[in-house]
Amino acid sequence: MTTTTDPVIQLEVGSGGGLIGASTPRKEDQRLLTGHGQFTDDLHVRGMLHAAFVRSPHAHARILGIDASEARALPGVVAVVTGEDLAKLTSPMVVSQEGAHPMVMETLPTAKVRFNGDPVACVIAVDRYVAEDAAELVDVDYEMLEPVLEMHAATDPGSPLVDEGLPSNLHTRQTKSYGDIETAFANADRVIETSFSSQRLTHVPIEGRGVLAIWDKGRAELSFHSGQQTAHVTRTLLAKRLGLSENQVRVISPDIGGAFGLKIPLFREELTVAAMAMTLDRPIKWAEDRAENLMASNHARDDSVSIQAAVAADGTILGIKAELWADYGAYAFYPPSYMIDVVGWLLLGAYKIENYEYTINVAITNKCPAGTLRAPMAIVTWATEGTVERIADELGLDAVAVRRRNMIRLEDQPYRSAPGYLYEALTLRESFDEALDRFDLEQFRRSQASARGEGRLLGVGLATVLEPTTYGSAWYKASGDEGSGHEAATVKVEPTGAINVMVGIIPSGQGYETTIAQVVAEALGSTTDNVAVRLGDTHIVPYGMGSRGSRGAAAGNGVAYLAALTARNKVLRIASHRLGVPIDSLTIVDGSIFVIDEAESRLSLADVAWMCYMDPTSLPATEAPGLEVHQTYDPPELTFSNASHVCVVEVFRDTGQVEILDYHVVEDAGTLINPMIVDGQIRGGVVMGIGQALYEESIYDDAGNNVTSSFVDYLIPTADCVPNIRIHHVETPNPNTPRGIKGMSEGPVQGGIASVALAVSDALKGLGVTVDQLPLHPSRILGYLRAAGAQDD
Amino acid sequence: MKARAIHLVVNGEQASGEVMPRMLLSDFIRDDLALTGTHVGCEQGACGACTVLLNGRAVRSCLTFAVQADGASITTIEGIAGPDGELHPVQQALRDRHGLQCGFCTPGVVVTACALLRDDPQPTTQAIREGLSGNLCRCTGYQSIIEAIEQAAAVGASTSADGTVA
Ligand code: FES
Ligand code: FES
Repeated sequence: MTTTTDPVIQLEVGSGGGLIGASTPRKEDQRLLTGHGQFTDDLHVRGMLHAAFVRSPHAHARILGIDASEARALPGVVAVVTGEDLAKLTSPMVVSQEGAHPMVMETLPTAKVRFNGDPVACVIAVDRYVAEDAAELVDVDYEMLEPVLEMHAATDPGSPLVDEGLPSNLHTRQTKSYGDIETAFANADRVIETSFSSQRLTHVPIEGRGVLAIWDKGRAELSFHSGQQTAHVTRTLLAKRLGLSENQVRVISPDIGGAFGLKIPLFREELTVAAMAMTLDRPIKWAEDRAENLMASNHARDDSVSIQAAVAADGTILGIKAELWADYGAYAFYPPSYMIDVVGWLLLGAYKIENYEYTINVAITNKCPAGTLRAPMAIVTWATEGTVERIADELGLDAVAVRRRNMIRLEDQPYRSAPGYLYEALTLRESFDEALDRFDLEQFRRSQASARGEGRLLGVGLATVLEPTTYGSAWYKASGDEGSGHEAATVKVEPTGAINVMVGIIPSGQGYETTIAQVVAEALGSTTDNVAVRLGDTHIVPYGMGSRGSRGAAAGNGVAYLAALTARNKVLRIASHRLGVPIDSLTIVDGSIFVIDEAESRLSLADVAWMCYMDPTSLPATEAPGLEVHQTYDPPELTFSNASHVCVVEVFRDTGQVEILDYHVVEDAGTLINPMIVDGQIRGGVVMGIGQALYEESIYDDAGNNVTSSFVDYLIPTADCVPNIRIHHVETPNPNTPRGIKGMSEGPVQGGIASVALAVSDALKGLGVTVDQLPLHPSRILGYLRAAGAQDD
Repeated sequence: MKARAIHLVVNGEQASGEVMPRMLLSDFIRDDLALTGTHVGCEQGACGACTVLLNGRAVRSCLTFAVQADGASITTIEGIAGPDGELHPVQQALRDRHGLQCGFCTPGVVVTACALLRDDPQPTTQAIREGLSGNLCRCTGYQSIIEAIEQAAAVGASTSADGTVA
């Protein structure tokens, strides 16, 4: 196998088959449309047992004792285990963060429960019905403790500690400063203050979490079948925490029914099931139910941003100071500073601002732990764009003009942002202008004014999105977070010419089986039908960093493309030798090798592949047998894409409802592999943003009980409440990535939240209302209108 | 609790089983009949992923007990495409319009759309949006699903399906 870590990006264009950029129908659809997908809970093996978890009914309580005798006596129950048992079988998770206290999470808690839904015991039984019955019979003796439920109050003296291993509930407080913030504020004509708070919410993949763990006693190997976005990293963690060697663990991620950042960590329930499969030597499956998913998987977005902007009278932004808060919940699945810090370094958005200081605060509370939900920094665009709007309002300037005055243009790049990130080939200003070419703002202002005259409230929200898509290993190094951003691929042209590709990214709807087939077929001069893409199985796929952020296109498809180019080069070297023609006179089209300008092909890709395996003595002396390439690729420190969103809403005074009347996105994700799939990512992302702006919220009552544990209480957008979204692509290739691919998929969420919230704010302009808290559901809107005395009775 | 024998027709074939009275139809279909295309997204009757046709009516199999289906005829997602895997127009349109991403909601969407088009072969966009409002999809943003159903209606999906669905 050829192994390459080629630092030079090969910008050579493949056969030019036009496969990159084609809206190829998806290879995965046939099985998914006919009911033949294979999701975790579809797996069934002989002798399989089922797990159910006993969960804390309290937000904060000491575990005094657990009596499982009644549960164990129930026919069909095989085992009941607690944190004490699991502490002997597994090691705890320790999350470290530079300059802060490490946080420790036991497999199941032994001393106390820290949130409503915290798992305290696991029942293993012959079927799920019995397992759930038995879970009800487990008697846990609790001593109630006072819950910590408000992040700003978490540090009050006398507040009980959520994590007794920490000195304070305020886990992190860090300030970062760039430029000369004092002078910027001293020179300002005005200092304008804003604040933005996002509600707590959760990921809600329609398929919940789950696992089927199988212990092969003869081989002493664990197979862990579970929808995992980062299967290799999960394998590493599983091996460590189970005390196995990493070559004793195989993680297989089957079809995943949506993930959105939820299915990254090794969850405690999953580890418990794996440990018990080994201990009992029985396959065990666990599929969480919706209540568990809503209460006890991961939550996100419980954060707020307060901004002070130093501005000149002409609208130039001289400097920004920001105070950021995040409620991290009860345990750390990620370094606590990780998500909120992204809000910090992204907050300057599309704007040239040199003087900047931000402080992050991360509080630990008695709520479900925070995770990375698609666009973990999602609040950021609303905060930036909302601040620019406020600046314009307070200075009596046009908000479009204030944006344009401060925006970074293509000609300003390469541009290094105050926190040190390099922007290249971004059309922040140009895409904004394009959006306003497509949406007639003047015309809208006229309709808005006449609608106001009739008592109707229309509003428009403009949001320019800066989306960090692909993090290279240099980013991880610089941030102090553990991990890498490189990716790995194996491309095998088999003896008959059929192509198998293995890449370390893992799909949960992004269509990688199709897009990777496109980039590989293009590089190798083959067809997408001839390329099979195999993902998610750590026994056959090279070690990759999986799917998180929006790295699938630039890192995942990028490395597959590079590996296929390496294979192509070998094919052409062999063909050149065989045909006695120079290598640069050759090309491959649909699997046939041509001397350029000749009508007849003289050799096929399959002929060369056959030679590589079955007749290697015919190869040039410098070529090794076989036609398999393993390649890794480490993308630049950080790759960005950008977009501009325009949203028009009507707010109904009498009901407080918000209806979205029109929605535009101008997206620049660089070179697109499959525009149809990108459009799908935009629409899905925007609608997730709409959900956050208008509907969704994970709510705790005063005692810390989660009161949103069903789809009756937790509302995600439905088909009858979302708009059509009009999309226009600008394709400005990134100069530093394979084929100029930038990637995207989180930006649409950022833009969705921002443009909807700003449109509502615009609709309510002049009524004395400040829209600073999500979601904007009818009762909040009615509250605003009532407070402003502007509600119709 | 005692198991009860049930007999039904599933995707045109005889099926029977011994089920406890509390067993959900969704579990019976998935676990006992091994037809795992019917998905369970909530068991709360809210997401629509588990939708099947029960005597021609779209029902949520997670809200139905298996014993209630005794004697009934059921069509699941596995019974929608032709026997050679040829896609039903609704399925084909979803593929053409990229009406699915992860595909977890898709079986429920397909079955719901088939029932909708049978009852209303030329639905308005609003009728499609309302008809699909009980099928949660977290991936697509719905637009492509709606467009797909419009496309299926345009090619006369309601009459071109096999007998069970049309
Ligand atoms: S699983 Fe039946 S409606 Fe959700
Ligand atoms: S396609 Fe993923 S939930 Fe609909």
